[in-house]
Amino acid sequence: MPKTYDAIVVGSGMTGGWAAKELTEAGLETLVLEAGRMVTTADYVEHVPTWQVRFRGLDDRKTRSATQPIQRECYACDEWSSKFFVNDHDNPYTTPPDKPFLFLRGRQVGGRSIMWGRQTYRWSDLDFEANLRDGVSIDWPIRYADIAPWYDHVERFVGISGEKLGLPHLPDGPFLPPMELNCAETMVRDAVAKHWPGERVLTIGRCAVLTADHNGRSACHYCGPCERGCVTRSYFSSVNATLPVAQATRKMTLRPHSVVHSLVYDRNRRRVTGVRVIDGQTKHAIEFRGRVVFLCASTLESARILLNSKTPEFPNGLANSSGELGRNLMDHVMGGGANGKINAPADKKPVGRRPNGIYLPRFRNLQGGPKSSFLRGYAYQGWSGREGWGRGTDMPGFGADWKHALREPGPWHFTFYGFGECLPDRSNFVEIDPTTVDAWGVPVLKIHCVYGPNETALMQDASIAAAEMLAAVGAWDISPFVDNNPPGKAIHEMGTARMGRDPKTSVLNAHNQAHDIPNLFVTDGACMTSSANQNPSITYMALTARACAYAVNLMRRREL
Amino acid sequence: MDRRSLLGLLGATAAVAAAPGDLADVGRAIHRRLGGASARRVLGPHQDATVVALTDVILPATDTPGAKAARVNEFVDLLLAEWSEAQERDSFLAGLATVDTRAREMFGKDFVDGTPGDQTKLLTVLDNEAAQWNAKPRGRRGPEPFYRRMKWLTLFGYYTSQVGAEQEAHFAIIPGRFVPCAPADSTAGSE
Repeated sequence: MPKTYDAIVVGSGMTGGWAAKELTEAGLETLVLEAGRMVTTADYVEHVPTWQVRFRGLDDRKTRSATQPIQRECYACDEWSSKFFVNDHDNPYTTPPDKPFLFLRGRQVGGRSIMWGRQTYRWSDLDFEANLRDGVSIDWPIRYADIAPWYDHVERFVGISGEKLGLPHLPDGPFLPPMELNCAETMVRDAVAKHWPGERVLTIGRCAVLTADHNGRSACHYCGPCERGCVTRSYFSSVNATLPVAQATRKMTLRPHSVVHSLVYDRNRRRVTGVRVIDGQTKHAIEFRGRVVFLCASTLESARILLNSKTPEFPNGLANSSGELGRNLMDHVMGGGANGKINAPADKKPVGRRPNGIYLPRFRNLQGGPKSSFLRGYAYQGWSGREGWGRGTDMPGFGADWKHALREPGPWHFTFYGFGECLPDRSNFVEIDPTTVDAWGVPVLKIHCVYGPNETALMQDASIAAAEMLAAVGAWDISPFVDNNPPGKAIHEMGTARMGRDPKTSVLNAHNQAHDIPNLFVTDGACMTSSANQNPSITYMALTARACAYAVNLMRRREL
Repeated sequence: MDRRSLLGLLGATAAVAAAPGDLADVGRAIHRRLGGASARRVLGPHQDATVVALTDVILPATDTPGAKAARVNEFVDLLLAEWSEAQERDSFLAGLATVDTRAREMFGKDFVDGTPGDQTKLLTVLDNEAAQWNAKPRGRRGPEPFYRRMKWLTLFGYYTSQVGAEQEAHFAIIPGRFVPCAPADSTAGSE
């Protein structure tokens, strides 16, 4: 008789790490299955300088275009960090020809928490009530009050640096000291506050990068490229923070190279009883048994596992009596913004590479405010600095004086880059492509996803409003833009197994528990009922911790 | 020729310096002594010398080493050998040849054989042409002048080298702090 674990967690990234930590700390014998290889701090390369990589950061583009033609679309898939992204040949997916989608993936211990953008913003009831208010899709089964204590719980552990603003639509948390704005950012902040008082607020990004030592992890040393790892564990990832805690309980079994094919369902007990795994190295099939299963494999991989787990009772995918599994796929629309040059002090420059930018929270369609021609809103991330030697190509001259002139920093530049809410839409969906399997023989997804007119309108408005703000600060060379990014590029994909009150229209209940199967939980981005415009990871973390506590309580009462 | 006879050719002093991993340096010294083929993989001896001369006029040694000491030519050769598409490589080599064409028109010699004054005079003309190209609207520029490509390669190859990054740009791998509005002439931790 094989061992039966108390819990099986599928995935070791942002949410899998949290499930591993919370479940093992509650005393559960927990098996964590990770499709990819082991990663430790020994894999980190953030201090390898340009002259120690072959192409100095220009990347091995011939190899990359052959093995990672899709992954390289992500800025972080570079000469250092491409090893944290999947091989596209081993990990195919398909789309209709007219619906491009970028599926950007990290399959290794730590998942994408190694290369994530680290921006962390709470949702509010402006977001949780949005579907109900607008008559779009279905209502969230939870409100801010349900998740607020769990935001506190995860943020205290993660360590979020940021500035408290007291905004009802962007709630504050137990922040570490904020990183500082540079001179140009301070000028833009002040000009925006003067021209749009009470409406637009520029602040430093709230981010999962430590500004003070915290829970045994060190404060940031400002080397810059977090996506290459962090030997001081100053930014949050599951490798840096949650998995070591789970490991220390001695209750966790972490198994890399474990490609989950599907779940095992017992029709008599109406429970999942285990997980079918293809060993990533030997390609042998193995089964593991568990009393409760947490899917934390990422929005699209969790949907794929359930869709690949068909049974006579669930012919369209496990836990899919609603028919909503795989549907309502969203990804933040991004790329409406503007850049320009700022007349900030010429005798100043930033020193050190701050791994964080500015944030300007949503200001459209707030409660009690004016209504726009579109629904919902967007927020800006942004960055600013002074130009360096890169401007030399088009700086006239050459020779000793010119080399000397390049020592002086160039003009201050500033960019606003918008991230907008994506409305849930049933016609944006994933299904199993019956004609394609991955390198482990697992059928792959066919992804159907396009942005609609509301997303387009948001980015148009974001571009215009950004240019207005730069004009207000007296910027020059202002260039508004709308990047035509395909969905997936923001890497904020969510939906596909949404939470809801009604089992007929949703896959999960208010506790991320499958309506159809009580011992099955999905706590990654698949659970999201709408997308808001905030970077979603901290919300996934809070929902995961909350679902773990709920599951542990049910298990203690023997109700699972 | 095996490693032992290579070292013998160089003499005992060089052999002491030639630790494992320095074989490329050994090879370069041999080539200098034999006066034969280029140590580069794509650039021939004359092309290599032309690239060295161009990069060193663009970014000369000052109070810090220049592009020549940073071996920007070797990085250019690596890009041509492993990074560039065939068409890009051909285009670069053709552009490089036009530098000699222009040099012979202007001062009757190949670029490498010109005086520093000759070389500066030609690069002044080429730099102006690149500026005029850059000033045109994007749709109406035509192909990028070779010189502008060379100027970018020189900058990139120099400032991403250890010499350029550390000595000229004061790049610190671990700044250790973030100072949002430091004096513009401060060096610590900047790029």
